[in-house]
Amino acid sequence: MTLTMRIGLIGAGGIARAHLPGWLELGARVSVYTVDGSAEKLAAEYAGREVAAVSSLDELLADCTAVDICTPTPTHKELALAAVAAGRHVICEKPLALNASDAEEIAAAAEAAGVRLHPAHVVRYFPAYEAMQQAVERGDLGDLAVLRFTRGGARPQWAPWFGDPAKSGGVIMDLMVHDIDIARWIAGDVVRVHAQTRGVEHTTGGTEAEVVSATAVLTHASGVISHITGLWGLPDQQFRTTFRIAGGDGLLRHDSTSVPGYRITAQGVRAANEGIPSSPMTESPYLTELREFAASWEDGGGEPRVSARDGIEAVRIAEAAVESSRTGRAIGVRTGIQEVTR
Amino acid sequence: MKVAVLSFAHVHAAGYLRLLSRMPGVEVIGSDPDTGSAAPGEVRGRAFAEELGVAYAQTYEEAFAWGPDAVIVCSENARHRPLVELAAAHGVDVLCEKPLATEVADGEAMLAACRAAGVRLAVAFPVRFSPAYAAVKAAVASGDAGRVLTVSGANNGAMPTRARRWFADPELAGGGALMDHTVHIADLLDDLFGDARPVDVYAQTNNRMYEGEVDAETSGLVTVTYDNGSVATIDCSWSHPRSHHSWGGLELTVIGERATLEMDAFDQSVHGYSERNRQGLELPFGADLDERMLRAFLHGPGEGGMEVADGEGGLRTLKIVAAGYASARSGVPVAVG
Repeated sequence: MTLTMRIGLIGAGGIARAHLPGWLELGARVSVYTVDGSAEKLAAEYAGREVAAVSSLDELLADCTAVDICTPTPTHKELALAAVAAGRHVICEKPLALNASDAEEIAAAAEAAGVRLHPAHVVRYFPAYEAMQQAVERGDLGDLAVLRFTRGGARPQWAPWFGDPAKSGGVIMDLMVHDIDIARWIAGDVVRVHAQTRGVEHTTGGTEAEVVSATAVLTHASGVISHITGLWGLPDQQFRTTFRIAGGDGLLRHDSTSVPGYRITAQGVRAANEGIPSSPMTESPYLTELREFAASWEDGGGEPRVSARDGIEAVRIAEAAVESSRTGRAIGVRTGIQEVTR
Repeated sequence: MKVAVLSFAHVHAAGYLRLLSRMPGVEVIGSDPDTGSAAPGEVRGRAFAEELGVAYAQTYEEAFAWGPDAVIVCSENARHRPLVELAAAHGVDVLCEKPLATEVADGEAMLAACRAAGVRLAVAFPVRFSPAYAAVKAAVASGDAGRVLTVSGANNGAMPTRARRWFADPELAGGGALMDHTVHIADLLDDLFGDARPVDVYAQTNNRMYEGEVDAETSGLVTVTYDNGSVATIDCSWSHPRSHHSWGGLELTVIGERATLEMDAFDQSVHGYSERNRQGLELPFGADLDERMLRAFLHGPGEGGMEVADGEGGLRTLKIVAAGYASARSGVPVAVG
């Protein structure tokens, strides 16, 4: 890349903080915009680096290669459409939107404008998931049959909007969408979804811990079946993800807490739970992800492993799961089929 | 105390015979006259009893003529009913291998026969005797875990057809993995939830692992909603590799409002590797759940107070399975009958 890559980062919360070091590692100059003044605070933390706060969206859009949207889900569409209108590539935190129709609209606008849209399904870049997917793709497990995924941790308290399903979509749309994407990545399109949610979906902000948990069963077009569970749990719930992938020729299992490579076993006080998982053992998956996205902006830079279509379909499945959970019915979905009309 | 094991069709028969023959004060015989379902190479009948050093009765009538105090029925799932009815006719208490039956009507008839004869009908669900389950139950019963929100269970094993072919014969087994494995966790929840009852079941199955080899479903995911507000999803798949040195396992995660609990009924093993056998080495040191179950059946509950599952409970779990099959066929949740 001949010119310095310039990234317009929108948001200064957990994901923005996970992306920003990645962008700097890639040699980008980053401008940060937020609506609440937190951009200045984030930029101040990176004093002396190529990070600057800007005071308006227009200013951000005026001078960047790509826009990285790390804001609450309901704001994604408006910001993404503005970035696309300015001719910028878009990286958008998952879920792309709270419903498939909005996600389709963003993707259609990006396609019409000739810019890239990258839904940030970062779990595809976590090394254990990547290794598993490659084994599946090589055929090491034979025909897949039944898959299980779990994902859980303490309820996100750092940003109250997660506790409002109207904004986050709830535990299915915000958390389980990761594993919905992974299930579809390795087992293909989904035709039917059944899900149930229990506990306190909408936080009341009281002093009592409020747990919410959901279970979803996906039926893939191939006949493969997937079980996905999600948990926003008690304050001391350690963040943990697991998978178990069974096929005719073998089995793969993973538990993120059983193979950390490095762990602190005592430090005198109970540590606060981390919001964004990190590991000293391997490159940050966020960096891997952003590098792959940025490479695709250059001719011959390759296709990222996650496409705009993948982001849309993950939302479509999650949306069906939310509907199933609300109605108690199994919901038929058709993923991977481009909607012809709008 | 005299105990007869009727039929060696089920893979658990050998274990029961071994355990019973070393229990002080217990006399055991086996009888396995009906071996038509056996594939070539499956050792059954007198030869099987001789391998285990257990006395053998040529016919079931001969076994009952011996005057057993209790019998254990280990026939194929679809053939439990005649043997349970035979036990009832002889006024002998019976422990029936799970699932209780393959059809709800058969299960109801078995309960009625035992009730009319005044004999006890118990169903062989050993996992409720796991100390890990006892701890889960204590945490829930005491209220420490709060209200149970969701449960995830997995009872995965290797497809048992190499030991006993009939397990994947829908006629004799009533199905495949869904019939074989759903009931263990369904029984734990039947006990854990007390008076709560299952409302509906959503199940999806496939046979992608053993297509062309067996006709039955070999993978299944079963979601059960209960009238106490809890929901459980059970992975009943035969998805444990057949060449693995262990048979499989049973795991349960219970998410309550005030605690998250996890149990693994069979994870207590020392693990290693055998250079001599060129495979993994596993030395289980946990409680023998079958032994605890047999003791409770023969002598009443032990220290933990856990009772053997009764026929009513066995029928309730069978109804979950029946609804599961109806759901897998229709693709929609089905009310539990």
